[in-house]
Amino acid sequence: MKTFLYNKAQHQSHSWNKQRGFTLLEVMVALTITSLVLGSIFTLAAGSKRLAVSTQESVRDSAAIRARINLALLDNQFRELQFPQDMEEGDFEIQAGERPEDPIRRTEPLRDLLEFYEITYPGQQAPLTGTRWVRLELPE
Amino acid sequence: MKHQQQSGFTLMEIIIALALTAMLLTMLTAGLYGVVRDWDDDASALDDSMDLAVTVLQLERALLGAFPHSYRDQETLAREVYFKGEEDSLAWVSEVSPGRQGNRTAWQLVNGSDGVMVFLTPAMSDNPDERLASVEPRLLFPGYEVRFEYLYEGLEFERLWRDSWPGAEVNNLPLAVHVHLTPHDDIANEPIDIITAIPANRHRAIRPNLELIQ
Repeated sequence: MKTFLYNKAQHQSHSWNKQRGFTLLEVMVALTITSLVLGSIFTLAAGSKRLAVSTQESVRDSAAIRARINLALLDNQFRELQFPQDMEEGDFEIQAGERPEDPIRRTEPLRDLLEFYEITYPGQQAPLTGTRWVRLELPE
Repeated sequence: MKHQQQSGFTLMEIIIALALTAMLLTMLTAGLYGVVRDWDDDASALDDSMDLAVTVLQLERALLGAFPHSYRDQETLAREVYFKGEEDSLAWVSEVSPGRQGNRTAWQLVNGSDGVMVFLTPAMSDNPDERLASVEPRLLFPGYEVRFEYLYEGLEFERLWRDSWPGAEVNNLPLAVHVHLTPHDDIANEPIDIITAIPANRHRAIRPNLELIQ
């Protein structure tokens, strides 16, 4: 009985002590957890930043590629095209493809037709195609 | 003795805890400051580059939609095609009108001190020069300088670029336009090229004066 009471008293006093404040160890654990959480938030922010930078680069690259494709289209449309000043050499080639199917009912010969084309360049991974308007010398 | 030690922190413990907290907070603040500043920089840079990409596309469309707009010269009473292409400026009439206007728009691009400026005004049946002179310019490409080249067909059917296009004398539009934008600071930005064919390069009723170009 006496032992029990002593134990109880010790238990109470221990519990009271624990409630009274944080130990250094607890504070350090709390700080570690906080810094881990903040660290993961910063990692997410860094990932988003990388994404922003790569988006910026691809936006800029796509503008440059657009200009080169337009130049290649001009080169394909008009033979013997002089290269414009201050432009990087682009290895974009245009290959004229087939024409879309004729409409079922055509009332008169047409000079203005549509034509498919394909863009090829070194290091190409996916096919690039488009449709353009062509004007024939003679109506067909 | 043991009870007293457990009842609170010693001065040493508090000092250590405070020092650690201060150290961590300093590091966190420094890190956070860097991250926030970087974030802001990135967001505005991304916004700027998106704006630039949209502007480039819009300009490309406006050039693609160039229209052989004609007006009557008050002195000679001749009909002239409006397309004033210089090496460092270009004024033309386009089917493309920003801001959902239904009519055609006269565009003029010139080099300003802050960058490339644009003048926009609705194109009526007269010479748009006067109305272009009376509108407020807008900054289109901040920090860039523009140069133009115009494509024409030579006598041997070869296609060559030249750096001016007097539309009123030639009465024709060029086959294509090359817009070269050079940034003022070469390190941060790269030059931008826009190349556009002009499909509607001939006026239906006015005969082109090709000798002047060749």
